Amino acid sequence: MNANFPTLIWLALVALTLTTYAIGASDMTGSGAMLTVLFIALVKGQMVANYFMGLRHVAPGWRLLILGWFLIVGGLIALAYKLT
Amino acid sequence: MQYKSQAVAKPYFIAAIGLFIGQIVFGLVMGLQYVVGDFLFPAIPFNIARMVHTNLLIVWLLFGFMGSAYYLIPEETENELYSPKLAIITFWIFLVAGALTVVGYLFVPYSTLAEWTGNNILATMGREFLEQPLITKVGIVIVALSFLFNICMTLLKGRKTSISLVLVLGLVGLAVFFLFSFYNPTNLVLDKYYWWWVVHLWVEGVWELILGAILAFVLIKVTGVDREVIEKWLYVIVTMTLITGILGTGHHYYWIGAPEYWQWWGSVFSALEPIPFFMMTIFAFNMVNRRRREHPNKAAVLWALGTGVLAFLGAGVWGFLHTLAPVNYYTHGTQMTASHGHLAFYGAYVCVVITMISYAMPILRGRAANSNKAQVVEMWSFWLMSVSIVFITLFLTAAGIVQVWLQRYSDAPMAFMAVQDKAAIFYWMREGAGVIFLIGLLTYVASFFIKGETKAAA
Amino acid sequence: MTAEAKNQHEGLPGDFAIWIFILAEMLAFGVLFVAYAFARAHDVALFNASQETLNRTSGAINTLVLITSSYFVARGVDAIKRDLSRDCAWWLGATWLLGAVFIAIKSAEFHEKFSAGITLSTNSFYMFYLALTFFHFMHVLMGMIILAVVIVKARRGGYGSRDHAGVETAASFWHMVDLLWIILFPLIYVIR
Repeated sequence: MNANFPTLIWLALVALTLTTYAIGASDMTGSGAMLTVLFIALVKGQMVANYFMGLRHVAPGWRLLILGWFLIVGGLIALAYKLT
Repeated sequence: MQYKSQAVAKPYFIAAIGLFIGQIVFGLVMGLQYVVGDFLFPAIPFNIARMVHTNLLIVWLLFGFMGSAYYLIPEETENELYSPKLAIITFWIFLVAGALTVVGYLFVPYSTLAEWTGNNILATMGREFLEQPLITKVGIVIVALSFLFNICMTLLKGRKTSISLVLVLGLVGLAVFFLFSFYNPTNLVLDKYYWWWVVHLWVEGVWELILGAILAFVLIKVTGVDREVIEKWLYVIVTMTLITGILGTGHHYYWIGAPEYWQWWGSVFSALEPIPFFMMTIFAFNMVNRRRREHPNKAAVLWALGTGVLAFLGAGVWGFLHTLAPVNYYTHGTQMTASHGHLAFYGAYVCVVITMISYAMPILRGRAANSNKAQVVEMWSFWLMSVSIVFITLFLTAAGIVQVWLQRYSDAPMAFMAVQDKAAIFYWMREGAGVIFLIGLLTYVASFFIKGETKAAA
Repeated sequence: MTAEAKNQHEGLPGDFAIWIFILAEMLAFGVLFVAYAFARAHDVALFNASQETLNRTSGAINTLVLITSSYFVARGVDAIKRDLSRDCAWWLGATWLLGAVFIAIKSAEFHEKFSAGITLSTNSFYMFYLALTFFHFMHVLMGMIILAVVIVKARRGGYGSRDHAGVETAASFWHMVDLLWIILFPLIYVIR
C-alpha cells in the first residue's frame, strides 16, 4: 500500500467529520441536513471498512454486508425521522 | 475410558435418568389436573405436583451437569480426578437430600415443612423454583462447593483447555448465583429483582456456558475436528451468550416495578439472545459436516444435532416470540411462557445432558458405542421425545393464544377460569403428547438393556 | 491459522471468529440505533431539547480522535506486513494513547451529566444517550485491553510478515469501535 494513500483517506475523514460538526453547529435542521449527515456517515463508514479494515481485498460479500448495515440502519433512522 | 476416575460419572447419570422419569410422571399428573381439577386431590394438590415437576427437573439436570463434568474434566485435563471418593460421597449426600426434600413436599404440609426446617431462622422458602427448605439449600451449597473444589483441584494440576475453563466458569457462576436464593428482601420488587438473578442468570446465562462446553467436548470426540476450530466457536458463542444473557435479564423487569428503561434494554438484548443459540446450531452442523472420522456412536451425534436445533427453536425462537415488551404486555404469565419453558429446557438442557450420557455411558460400560440394535432404539426414543415435546409446545402455544385473546386482548375480557375451560381441548392434547413423551423416555431407558454385538472401547 | 483455513474465509483480516463477533456486535448496536430513532419520533421536542445540553464539540473531538486512531492502527498493520515490529508497536501504542484520550473526554462528559443529577431514569433521551455511549465506552476499553496484549507481544517481536493474524484481529475490533461511533456521533449529537 502506498504510504500516502491511507493518509489521504484520513484527511478526507477529518474533513467529513468537520463538515458534520459544522452542520450541527449551524442552525441547519430538517430532512436535508439529516440526510446529508447520514450520507457522510455512510461514506466515512465505507472508507474505514474498505481502506483501513482492508475489506476491499476480501470477498465482496463482506463489503456488501457492511454497506448493507449502513444502508439499513441509516435508512431506518431516516424513516423514523420522517415519521415525525 | 481413558481415566479410571471418570467412572464416578456413572451413578450421576443413572440418578439423573431416574429423577427424569419422576419429573415426567409428575408432569403427567399436573397435566391431567389442568383438565380434571380434583385428580389425586387431596393427596397431591396441583401446586405440589408442579413444585415436584420443576424441582426434579432442576435437580436431575444438576446431576447431569455434575456427571458430565466428572467425565469431561479428567479427559480434558489429562489426569485423574482429584478425589473420586469425595465425588461419590457428594453424590449420596445430594441424592438423599433431594429425595428427602421431595418426600417432604409430598407428605408434609408445606408450612409444617417450613417450620421443621428452620424457615423461621432465615426465610427463603415459598418462592417459585426456590421452594427448597433452608437445610436443603444449605446442602446444595455444600455439595456445590465440594464439587467445585474437586473439579478445580483436578483442573489445577492438569492441562487447561478452553472447554474445561468455560465449563468451570459456568459451574462457578451456577454456584455463585444460587447464593441469591438466600437473599429474600421483604420489598416484593427487590425480592423478584434478585430472584431473577438465580432463575434467569442460571438458565439464560451460566448454564449456557455449561451447555456450550459439553456440546463442544462431545463434538470434538465424535467428529475429530481440530480442537482449535471448535474452541474458537466456543469463545464467540460464550461471549455472545454473556452479553445478551446478562442484559437480557431486563426482560423480566418490565412489570415488576423496576425502572422503565428496562423495557428497552430487556427487549433489545433478550431479542438478541437467539443469536448465540443460532451460532450453536450452525456450529454443531458445521462440525458434523466437516467430520474427519465416522464415530460408531450415531445416537450421540443425533442428540448433539438435536440439541442445536431444538435449543434454537425452544430457547431462541419461542423466547423471541414473547420477549418484546409490547408483546409481553399481553402474553406475560400465560401458557406462552409455559410453551417456551418446555421446549427451551428440553432442547437446551435435557438434550445436552442426554448427548453426554449417550456418548459417555457406553464408554463407561466398556465399549466405544452401543450395538446397532440398541442405537436404533435410542434414536427412536430421541424422535418420540423430541416430536412429542414439540407438540406439547405447540398445544401450549395454542392455549396461550386463546388466553391472550379472550382474557387479555379482548374488549370484554373473560375470567381466568372461564378461559381455562375454553382452552381445555389443548390441555387434553398436551396430556396426550405427554404420554407419548413418557413412552419415549421409557424407550430410552430400555435402550440401555438391549444387548448385541459391540466393539470394545478404544 | 493454516493457509487452507484462511482461504476458506476469503482472506478476512484477522481471526474468523472476531468477524462473527463483529457482525453480532454491529447487529446489536444497529438495533439500538434504530430503537433510539423510533423512540425519538415519539417525543421529538423532548429529544431536541435534551440534545441541546450535550457538548457537541467534545463529541466531534472524540470522533476525530477515533478516526485518527483507526488510521494509526491501519499503519501498524501495514508496518507488521513489512516486518517492522518496532514501527508496528509504535503505531499501536499511539492508538492506545488516543483510546485513553477518548476515555478521558467521555468520562468528563459523563461526570458533567451525573453531577447535574441526570440518570438513566431522567428521560428517554438521557436513557439512550447514557446507555448507548456507555456501552460503546466499554467497547473502547475492551479494545484497549486487546491492543495492550498485542503491543506487548509486538514489542517482543512476536509477529512478522508471515504471522500477524493477532495484530489484524485487534485492528479489526478497533475499526469496528470506530465504525459504531461514526453513526453514534451524528445520531445522538447532531441530527435534530
